[in-house]
Amino acid sequence: MSDSLPLSRRNFLSDLGLGFSGLALGAMLEREGRATSTLWTPPTGLPHFPPKAKSVIWLFMNGGVSHMESFDPKPMLSKYGGKTISETPYAEVQDPKKLALERLVVPDGNGNQRNKIFPLQVGFQKHGQSGMEVSDWFPNIARNVDKLAVVRSMYTTDSNHGAQTQFHSGRHMVDGSYPTLGAWVHYGLGSLNDNLPHFISIGTREYWNNKDGHYLGPAHDAVPLRIDPSNPLDFGKPERPFSAEAQGIGLDLVRELNTLRGKEYPADPMLAARLASYELAFRMQRSMPEALDFSKESAETKALYGIDQQHCRDFGSQMLAARRLVERGVRFIQIQHGGGGAGAWDAHSGLKANHSKLALQVDQPIGALLADLERRGMLEETLVVFATEFGRTPGTQGADGRDHHIFGFSVWLAGGGIKGGVVHGATDELGFHAVENRHYVTDVHATILRQLGLDSRQLEIPGRKRLEIDHGKPITEIIA
Amino acid sequence: MSPCFPLLLAVSGLFLGAAPVRAAVDYLKGVKPLLQERCYSCHGALKQKGGLRLDTAALLRQGGESGDALSMGADGKSLLVQRVSSTDPEEHMPPQHEGERFTAAQIAILSEWIASGAPAPADEKPEADPREHWSFRPRQRPRVPAAAPGGWGRNTIDAFLAQGYASGGVRPLAEAPPEVLLRRLFLDLVGVPPTLEEIAAVEEAPGSDWYPAAVERLLADPRHGQRWGRHWMDIWRYSDWWGLGAQLRNSQKHLWHWRDWIVEALNADTPYDEMVRLMLAADEIAPADPQKLRATGFLARNWFLFNRNSWMEETVEHVGKGFLGLTFNCAKCHDHKYDPLSQADFYKMRAFFEPYQVRLDVVPGETNLERDGIPRAFDGLLDAPTFRFVRGEESNADKSVLILPEVPTILSQGTIVITPVVLPLLASQPERQPWVLDAHLEGAQKALIEAEAALAKLGEKKALVEKKGTAGGEVSPSVAGQPAAQSGADAALWLDRAEVEEAMCAVDFAKADLRSMKVRAEAMRAQWENFPHEQELKSAAIRAEREAVFARELHTLAEARGRVLRANVDKKPAMEKQVKTAEEAVAKASKALAAPIEAADSYSLLYGAKWTPTRFLSSAKDDPVVPFPKVSTGRRKALAEWITDPRNPLAARVAVNHLWARHLGTPLAANTFDFGRKGSPPTHPELLDWLASELVESGWSMKHLHRLIVTSAAYRMSSSLAGAEDALAKDPDNRRLWRRTPLRLEAEAVRDSILALAGELDCAEGGASIPAAAQNKSKRRSLYFYHSNNERNLFLTTFDEAAVKECYRRDESIVPQQALALTNSSLVHDAAVRIGVLLFKPGSAPGASEEESFVRNAYSYILGIKAKPEEVAACSRAMEAWRRTAPSGETNASALARTNLVWALLNHNDFVTLR
Repeated sequence: MSDSLPLSRRNFLSDLGLGFSGLALGAMLEREGRATSTLWTPPTGLPHFPPKAKSVIWLFMNGGVSHMESFDPKPMLSKYGGKTISETPYAEVQDPKKLALERLVVPDGNGNQRNKIFPLQVGFQKHGQSGMEVSDWFPNIARNVDKLAVVRSMYTTDSNHGAQTQFHSGRHMVDGSYPTLGAWVHYGLGSLNDNLPHFISIGTREYWNNKDGHYLGPAHDAVPLRIDPSNPLDFGKPERPFSAEAQGIGLDLVRELNTLRGKEYPADPMLAARLASYELAFRMQRSMPEALDFSKESAETKALYGIDQQHCRDFGSQMLAARRLVERGVRFIQIQHGGGGAGAWDAHSGLKANHSKLALQVDQPIGALLADLERRGMLEETLVVFATEFGRTPGTQGADGRDHHIFGFSVWLAGGGIKGGVVHGATDELGFHAVENRHYVTDVHATILRQLGLDSRQLEIPGRKRLEIDHGKPITEIIA
Repeated sequence: MSPCFPLLLAVSGLFLGAAPVRAAVDYLKGVKPLLQERCYSCHGALKQKGGLRLDTAALLRQGGESGDALSMGADGKSLLVQRVSSTDPEEHMPPQHEGERFTAAQIAILSEWIASGAPAPADEKPEADPREHWSFRPRQRPRVPAAAPGGWGRNTIDAFLAQGYASGGVRPLAEAPPEVLLRRLFLDLVGVPPTLEEIAAVEEAPGSDWYPAAVERLLADPRHGQRWGRHWMDIWRYSDWWGLGAQLRNSQKHLWHWRDWIVEALNADTPYDEMVRLMLAADEIAPADPQKLRATGFLARNWFLFNRNSWMEETVEHVGKGFLGLTFNCAKCHDHKYDPLSQADFYKMRAFFEPYQVRLDVVPGETNLERDGIPRAFDGLLDAPTFRFVRGEESNADKSVLILPEVPTILSQGTIVITPVVLPLLASQPERQPWVLDAHLEGAQKALIEAEAALAKLGEKKALVEKKGTAGGEVSPSVAGQPAAQSGADAALWLDRAEVEEAMCAVDFAKADLRSMKVRAEAMRAQWENFPHEQELKSAAIRAEREAVFARELHTLAEARGRVLRANVDKKPAMEKQVKTAEEAVAKASKALAAPIEAADSYSLLYGAKWTPTRFLSSAKDDPVVPFPKVSTGRRKALAEWITDPRNPLAARVAVNHLWARHLGTPLAANTFDFGRKGSPPTHPELLDWLASELVESGWSMKHLHRLIVTSAAYRMSSSLAGAEDALAKDPDNRRLWRRTPLRLEAEAVRDSILALAGELDCAEGGASIPAAAQNKSKRRSLYFYHSNNERNLFLTTFDEAAVKECYRRDESIVPQQALALTNSSLVHDAAVRIGVLLFKPGSAPGASEEESFVRNAYSYILGIKAKPEEVAACSRAMEAWRRTAPSGETNASALARTNLVWALLNHNDFVTLR
């Protein structure tokens, strides 16, 4: 892995015999009328300051994981189970002033106040050196607890699943569509490997949340990837019979003809870029199946990820693929778990059955990922994030579910220069409000960008005003 | 603005070695930009808070009411540094909510500069008066420069450019070869490449002046409206509806009516000002003309189910950006930082739109508005007040001041006059449109025919049931009981019986409904015409409707009973509940039927339109119905007239800039949606103004502008830089427009061209958008594909298809996914086969030259290039290799090689490039 790849890429282009003048840059700036802004320079593809992490694996649980039943145990729920919140000593959590945080979009049966306390549905144990408590549904993640920094004091503002886009972009749905964190990273940093796309999306994305680039342009959308070596990418192999040999002859011809054309149309940066894009596409088409071919992985490794087990085969394959992609220099891998409805974790009823089943799908693979990254010495430069759009209500919905809850929930980060075995922030006794070291979702973005060596303010684009809250603040307490 | 780099791959390599070297603080590079960014909006030409201006070093020294900004105070700090570094919220600058604080490093820059004596150039000029800003000044027809020496140029456009060539010492490039021009013209004006015959016609008449005739033919071609319609759909934010699942949340169903209006209007050369007026206010200008009402799809597109403020803010933002090149959106929370637009101006602009709502109007022959209907705007909330939101926060409206519609002071040509529009009855009572009642009757007639056909299909069952029924029990739907036992033949009979009952009830209901509609239609007509029998007809209508309701409830009951019979045991209790409800409804309808008709009773009118319900009240149900008023406020009409007033300095300039940008790839003013002080000034201000004057004085004819531009020498130049090193060195950014820039074809042009070359493109005009599931097989032009925030076509998106939220210019990215789409998609592979066949003319020239002629034809047809010998040679070598390596079972290796060659040329850079 090398940070000087942009230079070699430039050489690669000039090696094609198509010299680069300042033409391209000047034209681009003029095109956007940005040359007038004296304070702005476009990203160089290099970090703004020395990075701690090179790659990010972004795990997102669609639907909303209960923070109380995962990483933020609340024994008071069991103590007061069946009572209304107003009957507990913590009635003040429903102070309308505190609830005003919510910015409602869709008034429907969900996202409401749930008053009757629902007892904890799972036990908790202390784990590791740190003694951090993790629920019994996540025993494998728990084994890696000394690698994690759990942030128990997250909040967001959309009480419906628009919070998914909000977690990725920092903006409430009503504000419009904004670039996601991965798109910013893609925009700000060059590739670590020219044979693979450097921003990849795996798993289920709800259709309202399936784009990343937005105003940065579709070129900054994640490339959707299927964990199927025979057909990993959209348009990733010929849709009609076409032998590799015939294609090879054709691509050689295309290169030759374009190069000939370059004599008549010299100094054409578009022609040069198109030549390069074909080279990359060809390498991508070839490299991607290799990256997803697990045949050289040991049986032990495959078992570690649970690929031999029905219930976690899919997610385990995604985790193993993620490790292999990071190994090959992919910058940002976004993996979303749990499709269907508004996200599988959305346990409005039957929380116990729902969460225990889904945890079984993800726990072993995520535990394996953390352990595998560490033993390969990759965890230091790979930042793993476990997030979800919001938590779930302390009160019960129906007989045995929990509703959406924006006022306090948990995420965790690991590796990439993040402290291990750390609990940061806290919710109140009921798990209702984040009360200590509160963090809006963009603080997670800021933390990740900082570890990657990026300053979001230097990425800002003239004419696209970003608010203070869009930038967030790095959670310095969890940075090693 | 679209901030994506066209050259994503290459871009990161270009900035190495550009790191600035920090020397002593340079005022122009270090200090002035900082002050400009943070301070000028309040202390510059726009405003002079505290009597202070900071836009020159001299003005800094001069200071304001608090004194000299630069002299050191007692604490060794200048007033300027003291204020920017203060921690007192009352003191510090910029004030709270007015901008980001200075960082320590920035304060150090200021201090250092002041400590070194605040050096600045002697000839520093203060900011110009905003009223003098180029785009706010009245537009005047510029004097046309004398013809260029040496006779370069074809029309007036060239005369303006020639001035710049002379002063810049650059020479314009020569004209592109005819084959390049032909392809350029076709793709630009109609969005597809020329046919073999069209190419041959030009090739066979060297030296002929084919060009002007081709321009006229293409401008008159209906495909022209499709091509340019898509451009304007970008700017005007066309989007099919989207929501959550089946719930409509954004835009409107059937918004394609607006798309069709755009295409038709462009083909008819409808004046641009007329188009703008109709899009903003057709409901006030042509309130009973459904063809023109389609234009207000522009406003219907902004409809948003949940939040009126987002809806209004988007409308103000994009009316500003799209028609005026003004960024009103920057003034939503505070006064504009760069332009003379106050925060109040934002809300004054909003007030023009405050009353408008959206409805669907019935079209001839279809009353089911889920299936069709024209989405259009109307003023429904005549008295809705507009208030300013303090800091833009919707929870913080300043209700002490009612905001009235008004245009920004700096641009007003006198006070705007708003006259309410009294609407014709056809608008406020759309059911009076002549086709509406007929459409309802036709619909009911059709429903009856369908119900009868369904019953007829049950013929045998019916006979059987009737036979058994007379023998063993009741079949009358009103008293049909539950089966005692449900097994074997008995159960089957009960099921059949229920089915027959349902079908019979359906027929009864359809009959009653048709009759009810007939009678109601008669009563409605009588009421409109004040017929003497009006009262009698009204009573008849009420009675007929009650009968129809009774028949409907009976049908519902029959269906509910059928469901019980068909349900699994565990579902039966729930189904039985439905039966109970249906029985109650039957009883109620029966009671209503028996009741006498009172004076206060009425019947439901057959509708001619339906308001699209919003949910602003967060009540989890639709907001109270907004009726169709008899008057419209006239606000939007007044606004539209102000925008298109020839004295408005912005509208024509913005429009011609968009036209120019799409013909030549580069706009004259770089920020197409921001003509304010923060945008770049035009490279050719006089040319821009001349074009704007031509637009206005030609009666806002866009075809006139297209003709002017494409017949200029500027348009016809080559894009080859061979031998242009000198000009390239002098003007690398082409600011003087001495050359053509090659363009990457837009997504739609790429797909349409592939299909057109294969002879398969279906250029049929109009109609509902092609849904995602049908797109793979569809040969329709790409602009007819369903296109919304949630549903976009993968191939088109790969080539930077328009984002629906905002797209004033397309991205022109070059990314590997495009290479994959062109190398691998079935679209390209299938087209390659067809093109290969189409181009192969056996026997025309036997032997090796047959292949050569195929290659030359393919080059010319697919790329618009006359192949050079080395290109032909390279192709022949590849074809030879393909033949050699053809699969053993391949019977026609030569045909395969031809297909593969076509495939390669579709992957050639110049296929997706407009040279």
